[in-house]
Amino acid sequence: MALATHQIDFAAIEAKERAATKKKWPSVIVALLISLIWVVPFYYMAVSVFKTHAEYTANNPLSIPEGMSPIVDNAISAWNTAKMGAGFANSALYGLVGAGFAVFFAAMAAYGLTRISFKRQNFWFMLIFAGTIFPFQIYLIPLFFAYQKVGIINTHFGMLLFYTAVCIPFPVLVLRNYLNGLSREMDEAARMDGASEFRVFWSIILPNCIGPMTATFLLQFTWIWNDLLFSTVLGNREEVRSIMNSLQIFHGSYTTAGPNLSLTAALIASLPAIVLFLLLRRHFMEGMRVTGV
Amino acid sequence: MAHFPHRETDLQLMERIGWHQVKAVENRAMKRNFWKAFAFMSPAIVLVCGLLLMPVVYNIYFSFTKWKKFSGLDEFAGFSNYARLPGNPYFDAAFYNTAIWVAASIVFPLAIGFGLAVFLRGVAFGNVFKNIIFLPRILAPTAVAVIWFHVYAPHGVLNSLLALVMGQPVDIGWLYQDNTVTPAIIATFVWQSVGLVMVLVLLGLSAIPKDPLEAARVDGATNAQAFWHIILPLLMPTLVVVTILSVLSGFTTFDLLWVMGVGYPGQRTLSLAVYMYFESFQKGSWAFGSAIAVIIGIVVFSVTWIQTVMQSRVDRMTR
Repeated sequence: MALATHQIDFAAIEAKERAATKKKWPSVIVALLISLIWVVPFYYMAVSVFKTHAEYTANNPLSIPEGMSPIVDNAISAWNTAKMGAGFANSALYGLVGAGFAVFFAAMAAYGLTRISFKRQNFWFMLIFAGTIFPFQIYLIPLFFAYQKVGIINTHFGMLLFYTAVCIPFPVLVLRNYLNGLSREMDEAARMDGASEFRVFWSIILPNCIGPMTATFLLQFTWIWNDLLFSTVLGNREEVRSIMNSLQIFHGSYTTAGPNLSLTAALIASLPAIVLFLLLRRHFMEGMRVTGV
Repeated sequence: MAHFPHRETDLQLMERIGWHQVKAVENRAMKRNFWKAFAFMSPAIVLVCGLLLMPVVYNIYFSFTKWKKFSGLDEFAGFSNYARLPGNPYFDAAFYNTAIWVAASIVFPLAIGFGLAVFLRGVAFGNVFKNIIFLPRILAPTAVAVIWFHVYAPHGVLNSLLALVMGQPVDIGWLYQDNTVTPAIIATFVWQSVGLVMVLVLLGLSAIPKDPLEAARVDGATNAQAFWHIILPLLMPTLVVVTILSVLSGFTTFDLLWVMGVGYPGQRTLSLAVYMYFESFQKGSWAFGSAIAVIIGIVVFSVTWIQTVMQSRVDRMTR
């Protein structure tokens, strides 16, 4: 059947569409202007790392750099004088190992809480989850004293111990919810076939938890990488210093270091988080959706 | 007519079918299960109790003692640490500054984040703008503080932009003056945290069902009516969560104030979190510092409690 084209007023539709897009352009311009507030500081950091100290002080802070080469010198002196290299390695160790152990232990706990029935499950869950409700300030003094007494203050082990502990409760919440929604048929079948509890956990539950485990790992890794408070209190010696602590100390000497170096150090410190975010945005958003953090 | 020679009591019935044995077997299984589950939970429980919960208990205990340099924190002092808090000029300043931070973190992130979410939903290339505004969220507060420290510097970005507008050189030390330092750091806080608020509001908006909106349209509701009577109530749970999140993060902000306040000599950058660090780790008044930590804990607890109350009320309203 032929379409009754004569009944459709094409001119009117076109005019309506043109009006709609026309109406949109002012709002796009407004959005552009607003987003400048977010773009300018990033732009400023990006141009400053390409400037020498002399160039930075002589020109407008937003001016386009004269050449690309100063970034090499800036990066080398930030890496060496600000000890960003050591901080980078330390923070990578804390983030990867701390968050890795934390998420693994959390998965174990979530397995025990959801797949084995015993009395007062809720009590044990709340005991672990209680680790999220206190402000960080309340841990500082007792930990500082206990670490001094045991002799693990300013050690890699001490830092890893705390970071692992503090990153456990939240993944337990996420993984427990996830496992509650996961079908029990597979693990019941495996148990029928005589698999041990650990075998069920290792070969059936873990492979099914990769998604939420990755999401929580990323969140906890970023938390450890970004932490300043605990690395200042528990690991302030040079060999164990985290990258944010190095950045903060270097920044404290800004009068001698100069803004271009200080900003290069800030860029180095935030690069891993930015790269991770751009590569794994889906997982980040997933984590964000579950948690609101 | 049926004849009941003997009616069993419940107890007798249980005995006859061996209920007690069943129960005993079940109890034994439950106990065995507990140890199995405990084996899985033990690393988490040991670490959380040892490194998080025990310190909380000790911190509360410390706050009731008096710091003796050689014998440790062992002399009981009652509430004297707490009694010293009000009236202490630093504590009063810290409390006042923290109150300003809390008020600002209730109003600005929510208002701006909500506004951006609603505005960017209808704009072309909205996703690009959303990603740009969200980006600072993944940076460390320390790095953000370093960037903005130089933005606010006398020879910094803000002054050079103002000079462009005013047509004459501007030389304001935003982070060195009493009346500009707090707004400047709060602006940085909002700059970083607004992206998350926006994303959460957008998620909340997209979860609103279309039916009630269309029904309202059919009944002739205006846009404003639809917003106030349908969208806003349905968005309430999201707004409660978002508000509490930003209040808690504003209340416990440490990194931004610590790093951006590095050259500022006054007391405006002194929040309760910074003051607690300062008293204990720089002045060595450990017992006093732990009393401040307890105060921070009490406030955080009350805020979380308010959240649960409000959330259950909102849940009841929307159901």
